[in-house]
Amino acid sequence: MVHALSEIHRVLKPGGILLDLRALEDSWPVEIVSSAGWQVSGRLKALPGMMEDDEAANQAMREVESGGWFIQTRVEEFPYFYYWDAPSEMKEFTETDWEGLEKISEEVFRKTASLWASANADARVRMRVRMHIASWQKA
Amino acid sequence: MSLQRDPENLEGKTLHRFVDFKDKRILEVGCGEGRLTWKYAGASSLTLGLDPDHSALRIARADCPPDLRERVHLTGASARHIPFVNETFDIAVLAWSL
Repeated sequence: MVHALSEIHRVLKPGGILLDLRALEDSWPVEIVSSAGWQVSGRLKALPGMMEDDEAANQAMREVESGGWFIQTRVEEFPYFYYWDAPSEMKEFTETDWEGLEKISEEVFRKTASLWASANADARVRMRVRMHIASWQKA
Repeated sequence: MSLQRDPENLEGKTLHRFVDFKDKRILEVGCGEGRLTWKYAGASSLTLGLDPDHSALRIARADCPPDLRERVHLTGASARHIPFVNETFDIAVLAWSL
């Protein structure tokens, strides 16, 4: 990871900007959203390896900062939403596309399905992913 | 499946609040299928997308909007060996890839 950052440092012009944009592994909330509002039905379970990846990424950025390659100029978090029309579609997606990343428990799925079924007709399922963005200037 | 990702475009809006892409030379590391690339490349003078996943790059090449084809170039490579000379880019984007 640090080697990749050294390559990026090499190809950036003096004063160039590195943007680090990534999802932070977390217990992302599952929500039911409709014209009447939204409510949380539960949270996904982040698998342990992904939390370690976050820490490794943060550690790599600390290393390049302490090495004087980059200076952090700004950092923020923002939400990134995934929407599905029905809980079964969300479950299918998490089990295929996010296999090994995040997992939905049977209990959370049942509660999501129940809230969705009793919500307004326009209700959808939403996942709120926690995003990190930071800008770093080449020193 | 009716999946919608970031229909509010919060990611694109945040990206543009963070940095001015206008007329800049940009390297995107981990461009994948180009989902993020299309959100800023129109402002750049040149965008180079890197990804070691050749099947993702094939999708990106097929999906590249016609008005971006002149300024977006996609290369199969990893960040461990970036195939460009020193001091080429104004901005590097690590797209969900650190």
